[in-house]
Amino acid sequence: MKVKVFAVLLALILILGAGAQAKEIRVLLANHPYGELLRAAIPEYEKATGVKVNVESLQESQLTTKLTTEFATNSSSADVFMTRPLQEGKMFYKNGWYEPLTAYDFSDYPESAMGVARFGAKPYLVPLVTEWQVLYYRKDLFRKAGLSVPKTFAELEAAAKALDSHEVAGFASRGRGAAAVTQVSSYIYNYGGAYLDKGKAVFDSKEALDAIRFYGKLLALHGPKGVTSMSWENIMPLFQAGKVAMWTDASVFYGQIVDPAKSQVAAADVGIANLPAGPKASNPFYVVSWGMAVARQSKNKALALDFIKWATSADLAKKGLIANITMARNSAWADPEVRAKANAELVASQAFAAKNGNPFDRPYMSAVGNARDLIGEVIIESINTAGTSQTLANLARQKVKAVNELLEDTGEFGVY
Amino acid sequence: MKTSLPRRAGFLVLLVCIAIPVLFPFFWMLSSSFKTQVDIVSWPPKLLFSPILGNYVKVFAEQNFLKYFVNSSVIGVTAVVLSLLLGLPAAYSIARFQQKRLSVFILVARLMPGISFLMPWYIIFSRLKLMDSYVALILSHMLIALPIVVWIMSSYFETVPVEMEESAMVDGATRQRAFLSIILPVSGPGIVTSITLSFIFSWNNFMFSQVLSMERTKTLPIAVYNFVSYAEVDWGAVMAAAVAIMAPAILLTMIFQKYVVKGLTMGAVKG
Repeated sequence: MKVKVFAVLLALILILGAGAQAKEIRVLLANHPYGELLRAAIPEYEKATGVKVNVESLQESQLTTKLTTEFATNSSSADVFMTRPLQEGKMFYKNGWYEPLTAYDFSDYPESAMGVARFGAKPYLVPLVTEWQVLYYRKDLFRKAGLSVPKTFAELEAAAKALDSHEVAGFASRGRGAAAVTQVSSYIYNYGGAYLDKGKAVFDSKEALDAIRFYGKLLALHGPKGVTSMSWENIMPLFQAGKVAMWTDASVFYGQIVDPAKSQVAAADVGIANLPAGPKASNPFYVVSWGMAVARQSKNKALALDFIKWATSADLAKKGLIANITMARNSAWADPEVRAKANAELVASQAFAAKNGNPFDRPYMSAVGNARDLIGEVIIESINTAGTSQTLANLARQKVKAVNELLEDTGEFGVY
Repeated sequence: MKTSLPRRAGFLVLLVCIAIPVLFPFFWMLSSSFKTQVDIVSWPPKLLFSPILGNYVKVFAEQNFLKYFVNSSVIGVTAVVLSLLLGLPAAYSIARFQQKRLSVFILVARLMPGISFLMPWYIIFSRLKLMDSYVALILSHMLIALPIVVWIMSSYFETVPVEMEESAMVDGATRQRAFLSIILPVSGPGIVTSITLSFIFSWNNFMFSQVLSMERTKTLPIAVYNFVSYAEVDWGAVMAAAVAIMAPAILLTMIFQKYVVKGLTMGAVKG
């Protein structure tokens, strides 16, 4: 009897052992339209390769928490994961959590996208999705007011004033401090300023302050009520309800504001244009919002590399773009089939941003969250005083000092 | 007892004044769960709208929330049962033998921020290959349930007259026997209170499940985030999921409410 039990146990162990040896990888995706597209396509990949792919989908901040815990305790079983280059890229790289991707062909990616994928000479992540700053506007309201789409900041201000009414805010953009930092970035670039320059905080420059003042003035005079507590979650519903005439934010929201299941504004009345040019430049941000990487701790690196090549392939990028996901690959945007289906204004704004865009929409550093909070205070002060604050320059200087200290803490000060 | 009309009117007004702000979010959640995305974001808010069931279909058909319900229930119930098994005798011992230091120690475990346990747990559980297992989650949720059981029950047991068990022991019962047959049967309200509270805390816990669970053992609070995507929130589905998650907790509280109040105040006045 005992022998029998023993034999059964042994057989079980053997079977389990064999199971463990089967090709298997663990992939962590974000709750993102591209993640969903991948999830749907993964069974085909499994069938073609015989590799079992264990997928998990997580909300983005949960994903970061999970990856950070797993990697920091050096006990991760993750092989491939989606990652936000600007938010966590630098930290993940410095901690050695990304596997270098030297065997991947990056020739199909715009150079500005590669800027955040490369550290030193080696690329560490594959750019997946890009987004850039645009101006969403209501074509019907512009027609009624006899206005044309603003091409400069001066025209933007005039249009905001003309379109402002009791019912409809002339202009909206993020006003909630830290959340607004990314949207203010393009205004600063167009005024000729920057958040960081050569590894030092410089947002107390005259150019940057002029931009922050202009942004504050626009929002204070023509923005929706309570804008200093608003991010995209609050402004998009207002736009969808027809309460906003112009809105500057990332291109990622386009799909949702022209979807009749989500918006009360007819798709034909929604326009998308380049962010107006500033006094010095026209360089809206053009950033890689999502990338994909192989975990340094992965025990199946060959399988992981094979998977990432498939998951970021040109073919899937084309499918993504057709589904209104603004993919990073050049070939997807150049594809005639895609161009025939996509919105011409969206394609045009992508072409402009990809050519002229700035690859950062926030201070690119490890302690980006803290830095955003600090800069956010300057933005809020500007909005609260409609850009006229006497103490703004002083406040900005203080915050620059604080951001520089953050840079020093992580050894990034003056390093670029 | 008769109360004068103005007093009753005043009481009613006060009741309404308190009830409206408390109940309004629930009303908002419930009504939004039957709205389309367009109706949810429309301004001014729509009080009259044509209700849809689509959000609940998303929650239960497309996302398989039933699985997460099972996960949360298995973890919550087991953690509470195990906590009772360990906690009741512990609480009795603390109450009868004045082990104040021990009870403070248990309270400290509860007061420490949960995140400080997570890193060591993560390392231990992943080395033991217990990640994404019920065992890991149940053990972690016992950290939530056990201190509640011990703290409520120790002050409850103190209110039970010592004479009751002494007379049983005079008649030849062991202390264990007296505890099981004399003390426990009269501690119903306290036990119900600790079950209700610890189960609800476990049910609502987010942090432990976030790190220790994966797809297989995902619990409800984590699963709500399935509807929060990058740059997109499906409010209707979030609301529907929230309604579904809160329903058992509210039901449980309503049924046992009178015990909870009794059980919590039982140890409050002691001579």
